[in-house]
Amino acid sequence: MTVKLGGLELRNPVLTASGTFASGREFADFVELERLGAVVTKGVSLDPWDGNASPRVAETASGMLNSIGLQNPGVDAFCENDLAWLADVDVPVIVNVSGHSVAGYVGVIERLERETGVAGYEVNISCPNVDAGGMAFGTECSAAAEVTRACRVATTRLLVVKLTPNVTDIVQIARAVEAEGADALSLINTVLGMAVDVETFRPKLSRVVGGISGPAIKPIALRMVWQVSNAVSVPVIGMGGIMSADDAVEFMLVGATAVAVGTANFIDPTVTMRIVDGLAEFCHARGIERVSDLTGAMKA
Amino acid sequence: MRRCMGEESVWRPVNPALERISVVANERLAEGVGLVTLHAPRAAAGVLPGQFVHVRISRGTDFILRRPFSVHRVSGERIEILYQVLGVGTRALAEKVAGEEMDLVGPLGSGWRVCEGTARALLVAGGLGVAPLGMLAEELAGRGVAITVAIGAPREERVLARNLFERVARRVEIATDDGSCGLRGPVTGVCERLLSDGSFDIVYTCGPELMQRKVATRAAAVDIPCQVSLERLMACGIGACLSCVVRTVDGMKRACVDGPVFDAQQVLWDPTETPPEH
Repeated sequence: MTVKLGGLELRNPVLTASGTFASGREFADFVELERLGAVVTKGVSLDPWDGNASPRVAETASGMLNSIGLQNPGVDAFCENDLAWLADVDVPVIVNVSGHSVAGYVGVIERLERETGVAGYEVNISCPNVDAGGMAFGTECSAAAEVTRACRVATTRLLVVKLTPNVTDIVQIARAVEAEGADALSLINTVLGMAVDVETFRPKLSRVVGGISGPAIKPIALRMVWQVSNAVSVPVIGMGGIMSADDAVEFMLVGATAVAVGTANFIDPTVTMRIVDGLAEFCHARGIERVSDLTGAMKA
Repeated sequence: MRRCMGEESVWRPVNPALERISVVANERLAEGVGLVTLHAPRAAAGVLPGQFVHVRISRGTDFILRRPFSVHRVSGERIEILYQVLGVGTRALAEKVAGEEMDLVGPLGSGWRVCEGTARALLVAGGLGVAPLGMLAEELAGRGVAITVAIGAPREERVLARNLFERVARRVEIATDDGSCGLRGPVTGVCERLLSDGSFDIVYTCGPELMQRKVATRAAAVDIPCQVSLERLMACGIGACLSCVVRTVDGMKRACVDGPVFDAQQVLWDPTETPPEH
């Protein structure tokens, strides 16, 4: 069941999508964290962020909109609480890194470089819910390249860059990020959307627009993972609406080396365990020796 | 002011779990209001007054998120949930019939906190706010606490759980918007009068947020601690998604794990709402 992301070998390809799993502690009643490929944490910034006003979520057909706005207590509190708690858990930790500026991203990484227990970073240049930074860095090749370059200088650990689907051509961004030394790419972050309450005539989110996640976006995510994995040589972590082992297989068939489970964690907090088991059963039932054999195995 | 903080509560929560449940009965109580009885042995054994369960009503993909419901009452291996039909989720719940299966995550959240030595409690409910107060009333009565209940509703048919409260409370006062039952006017008026002529150790309230805020203000004015139960849109229910945040004097708190019950003095009420009358 092992897969490789850069220099990191994971016991299986099932990861958690940032922002849907906190740092794992909230799921300890439901999940054996040691059985995950890796925990990808909630976004961490240099200073504490309050996030956006409520309402921050709205349900939509086969999915949900969110505009949480990367609320987090800042990297120092993260080290003190989350990393300290994770130190006793035998699972690779990939910290999702957020910033309002290039220096902000680098600052988080530099702080975390002083800590053990961090296997790598997922640089979030794709959050649609913050005014400065976030997606602004992920929608333009030069900005995406600049952030990646600065983060690459700051660490030799696994460096993943998480891409937004809210671009004209995700392949261009992927290539720019790969060229600056990213070890892997995560895609997709949420798709920009909105919803309106017809009783009150008001937007359902306080910020008006937010990011759609859940099964509704899976076909978009699959298409982008397929495009990007055909265009780059680094591994791709596929995500967007994965609810079952079959969904995970689909992402691997189009080229993903690993997958991340997001919104499904809200619906069934045990879902990652079902997917880990389901992937093994899927391969066993078909005589597929290594789960990594699924990667890119879609037939023409 | 006396305070009753979590660590002092006589009740201790159990860990939540995913549990298969089935519908025992689903009764329509009034237009758009129902009471569903669920066979949920694990939740029934562990739930504390004021805690909630997060129910997956549909396994389809039309709507996918769970819906949080306060546990209204526990009876053996069964829990009762009071609900109002407000959207696709509660509409689907209203259509459930006996024997249908679902699952829940729970019990979740902090419940009402009860201190040793509590002798007299005032419970103030607005509309569906009776939901988390039913089990509390029964448990408090079982501990020998003298309970006074004030219930507010738009009209008589929407005065919910009256029988339960009349069974366990020393006194039940009702206020309706149209005067069709009890006093005409808001329940906050009843609350104010009760607070001025009775001495209570604690006030517990649930209902529309503005109502709770008014109750909290009145309790504070007579120096009685007050606990409120806040409602927020929620995705995960277990503290991960940060959808259901509440602004408090101690920073952002999550209604699902740090609440839904909060000490009223902790809450920084939504500044966009009308300030309470004094």
